[in-house]
Amino acid sequence: MGKKRGLLSNSIRPVRLQREMTQQELADRVGVTRQTINAIEGDKYSPSLEVAFEIARALGVPLDEIFRYGEK
Amino acid sequence: MSLSFREKSLWLMLASLVAVFGFYFSRALPADGANVGPQQTSLFIVAVVALVVVQVIGHAAIAIADRRTESDERDALIELKGTRNGYFVLATGVFASLCAALVTNGNFVFMHVLLAFWVLAEIVSIASQLFLYRRGA
Repeated sequence: MGKKRGLLSNSIRPVRLQREMTQQELADRVGVTRQTINAIEGDKYSPSLEVAFEIARALGVPLDEIFRYGEK
Repeated sequence: MSLSFREKSLWLMLASLVAVFGFYFSRALPADGANVGPQQTSLFIVAVVALVVVQVIGHAAIAIADRRTESDERDALIELKGTRNGYFVLATGVFASLCAALVTNGNFVFMHVLLAFWVLAEIVSIASQLFLYRRGA
C-alpha cells in the first residue's frame, strides 16, 4: 500500500464521470473518504485489494479495466 | 483546499500543543533550582488541563462543522507512518534524558529534556501526517 509510486495506474475518473458519479458518491459506496478516492484517482495512493475490488464493483466494471499494473 | 475531519483534527492538535507547551517552557525555563519545584509542577498541571480542554472543545467544534468523521485504510496508514516518525524522536529523547540525568544534579534537566522530546515527537508525528495527507499518502 502506498509504495512503488507510479507502477499502479487507473482509469477511475473517466469511468466515474461516464456514470455521472461524484467522488463523494463513489467514496460512500466504497466505504472510504472522498480524499482517498481523490488520492487514488491521482495515482498518489495505491489502495488495498479489498478497496480496489469495491471500487470496481461500485463502478460496475471488471477490476482489470479499472486498474493496470506496470503500464502507463 | 478541502480538509478532511482528520486533517482539521491534526491541525488543532499541532496548534494547541505548540501554544500550550510553548507557554509552559517560556515560563518554566530557565531553572531556578536543581529539582522541579511546586511552581513548575502546578504550571505543568495547568498546561495539561488546558491542552485537554482546548482539544475537547476544538474537536467538538470540528465535529459539529464537519459531520464526516469516519476514517479509512489510508488514514490508518498515514497515522502509522506518523507514529513511526515520532517514535524515532521519542527514542532519541529518552536516550538524551538518561544522559542528562547522568551528568546533571537533581531532576529538573532530566524531566524537561524528556518533556521537550515528547512534545517534539508529537509535533513530528503530527507534521508527518499533515505532509502525507497533502502529498497523497
